[in-house]
Amino acid sequence: MNKGQVISGSFGEIIIRQKNDENIEIGEMLVCDNPKLLLQVYDLSFGSQISQQNIELISGMRLEENTDFEFMDEKLRNYNIAYAKNLISLEKGNISKSLPKFFSIVRDIEKEDLKFLEKPKDSIFLGNLRSGSKKIEVPVYLDGKEVFSHHVLIPATTGRGKSNLTSCILFDSIDKNYVGHLVLDPHDEYFGRNEIGLKDHPSKDKVTYYTSNEPPVGGISLKINIEDLKPSHFNGVIDWSGPQKEALTAYYRAYNSKWIESIVLEKPLKIGFNEATLAVVRRRIMNLLDLDFDGNELFCNGIFDITAGKTTISNICNKLENSNTVIIDTSSFSGSLEILVGSMIANEIFKRYKKFKDKGEKKPIISIVLEEAPRVLGKEVLEKGSNIFSTIAREGRKFGVGLMAITQLPSLIPRQILANMNTKIILGIEMAPERLAIIESASQDLSKDNRNIASLDKGEAIITSNFSKFAMPVKIPYFNELVEKYNKEKEPVNDHKKSFVGVKI
Amino acid sequence: MRFAHIADCHLGGWRDQKMRELSIQSFEKAISFIIDKNVDFLLLSGDLFNTSHPGIDILKIAVSNLKKLQKNNIPIYAIAGSHDFSPSGKTMLDVLEEAGLLFNIVKGEVKDNKLRLKFTTDRKTDAKIAGMLGKKGSLERNYYEDLDRENLESEKGFKIFMFHTAIEELKPKSLEKMSAEPISILPKGFDYYAGGHVHIIENRNINNYSNVVYPGPTYPNNFRELEELKQGSFSIFDNGKVESIMIPSKKVTSITINCDMKQAKQVEIEVLEKISNSELYNNIVLLRFKGKLVHSKVQDIDFNKIVKECYSKAAYFVMRNTSLLSDERFEDIRIDEDNVDNIEERLIDEHIEEFKHENELIRKEELLSLMKVLADNKIEGETNTDFESRLIKDIDRVLEKDNI
Repeated sequence: MNKGQVISGSFGEIIIRQKNDENIEIGEMLVCDNPKLLLQVYDLSFGSQISQQNIELISGMRLEENTDFEFMDEKLRNYNIAYAKNLISLEKGNISKSLPKFFSIVRDIEKEDLKFLEKPKDSIFLGNLRSGSKKIEVPVYLDGKEVFSHHVLIPATTGRGKSNLTSCILFDSIDKNYVGHLVLDPHDEYFGRNEIGLKDHPSKDKVTYYTSNEPPVGGISLKINIEDLKPSHFNGVIDWSGPQKEALTAYYRAYNSKWIESIVLEKPLKIGFNEATLAVVRRRIMNLLDLDFDGNELFCNGIFDITAGKTTISNICNKLENSNTVIIDTSSFSGSLEILVGSMIANEIFKRYKKFKDKGEKKPIISIVLEEAPRVLGKEVLEKGSNIFSTIAREGRKFGVGLMAITQLPSLIPRQILANMNTKIILGIEMAPERLAIIESASQDLSKDNRNIASLDKGEAIITSNFSKFAMPVKIPYFNELVEKYNKEKEPVNDHKKSFVGVKI
Repeated sequence: MRFAHIADCHLGGWRDQKMRELSIQSFEKAISFIIDKNVDFLLLSGDLFNTSHPGIDILKIAVSNLKKLQKNNIPIYAIAGSHDFSPSGKTMLDVLEEAGLLFNIVKGEVKDNKLRLKFTTDRKTDAKIAGMLGKKGSLERNYYEDLDRENLESEKGFKIFMFHTAIEELKPKSLEKMSAEPISILPKGFDYYAGGHVHIIENRNINNYSNVVYPGPTYPNNFRELEELKQGSFSIFDNGKVESIMIPSKKVTSITINCDMKQAKQVEIEVLEKISNSELYNNIVLLRFKGKLVHSKVQDIDFNKIVKECYSKAAYFVMRNTSLLSDERFEDIRIDEDNVDNIEERLIDEHIEEFKHENELIRKEELLSLMKVLADNKIEGETNTDFESRLIKDIDRVLEKDNI
């Protein structure tokens, strides 16, 4: 269907007159057939053949004197102007380097136009292509192996569907054998304890749920053995002073795996430290780890334990290495504790994957889902020293470990790290500085998309990625509908009579 | 209320006659102790036998001990474990139950494709006992998934749940690769969870699960278990208090030889010296050789001579383990098993004493961090000067221990 005509402009700013009875939206994709190009509208304005002065006069007469003047040949004289940019050449499926033919007609995009979009072998489904606010029945798949290992950033203002999008991505990748996800879940929303969640996937065996709040059947009580802690796990978690760091090191050196216990029980050190320093270290460790003592005995009240949880970290890593999704419910943790737990697991994963690379062993990609990412990747935090997450952001892709960072404030993340996030799934962002941070670090040129990003509605996104041919506007499915659809597509299980051999029935 | 809880007897488990006898003796001692303690009943949480079809001699021993308990009016409530349950669903427990020697308490009904377990009530104490069998490869997981928990959890009174499954939260590091299930698969609200399958001694309260008990095997079942546990054990519940009882047996002496960078002859001399300095009379001697020999092969170690030396000191039984021992011939294979990081770490361990910074020993972690910094490449677009100053900064940070 014809939507308008190219009337002027330049490369990257093609001006289209909108056909009177048609409607063109910001973000809408239009096709011009000569040569076959895909254009995207990034701005709209009014156009008129009548001078502004006359238009204002006519308006005044209507408003003030109740005259019923009409424009002569209104359809011809007044119209909308759409500003579009070249997205891609549809003939070759590569970046367009030419202008459409002057005065060429632009039309609605059709499914047939997008035949060049292929489904990669190790795909991840991100939604359907979108033209303005209209969903097109063309699923958008990217190469999941590349996407997850080269980090994903999901920037959005609250309420624009970050959790829905993350749930959809995780759900789609559960039965994929090329990736395992570690999800640090501060809102306990992904597993679906009381509502639809990842537990409702047909391959639910590949989802492991750790929680410290009364685990549901099949969920695991999160217990981590205190001896698994190392001083480096506290990097980015607690802002230690120089002498405090020295004290931690000295305890670790003197007591090895019993170092935390020794700090709490005030065991002696060969090196002398200021009493106040030791007292602060002790207090901060006890607070963070929720420890207590009575005489010479240490008590653990929280997730850290003296006897239990000896295999928790390695079990989590084993599951991830087997492309499982591991969800850690951190909803009852302080922010620091959540980062500490994440840091312990991330350290172990990174260590293992470096070894696998040395051995030439191929393992599934591991992607770590981090909510409120600036807590560990923010400029302020990193100025105080690097942490395992920033290390993964910088060099994780070499070893097959990636981050999926979710944030409302991408501008707090250093530019170098933002640039390393090679796929950005941009949901609606209202704040201009945040939009700017994303636009400046996008994989495709989004310099004209400021308004487009600001006007993204709930569930609408723009995907900019090194692994997509152009910045793709998508409509993210509603998670509940996705689960329903997915489960319907799977063959219904025969409701055969179950046998319980060995039980005397 | 007082009851005993045993598991993992693995009768018939040792191939060697001497060790098999010890294992049986340990089981018999446990039974005698339980009778002496005058318990109300005995819980047997699986793996009474080492196979689903035990030999007649082993069966005879089991029957005679169970009969002793019966004579003393101590009922036995049992579940089948992964070893004494055949894939076709046969277990010798059924025969023993038919003979009136024990109660296999795994019973229930299927309603709407859900398994509803029934309680067995102990006549003397009114304790209500339910449980789930253990199967090979943790296949009982499916049974738990289809378990109707409501009737189990809502039942009033003193309740015991018997299971033969590894619990994820309680797994020791040495059994890291063992298939396990989260504790949440067990029904909640029982007073005692009588576990089996994992050969550890454990008594824990986790969330809503109190007294989750693994009593340990009645006798260690292999070399590693002998090293770790030394002897068998079981548990006694006495009016709310759970006590672990160690079963006295032959003393175990472990001799571990680190063969790294040594020649076979050196190893031989070292081990013989250790043997001559040890009291081995009537002991079980465990010889573990680990590490990598240089300029000689594993076969160059005269193990026969070493073992004979132990017997000359009147050892009861000698076992050797060389699973962690290798020599240069296997270097290529070993590299596959090891990696550069491990080799570096091992070298640092050996030479750590030589590294000092400002008269202070440098820690292994610091050295590894330094090596990592020095292995760093120049970033694209970074000038030589910037690269150099970045390296210096990073090295400073490592040496100031910021990174530890």
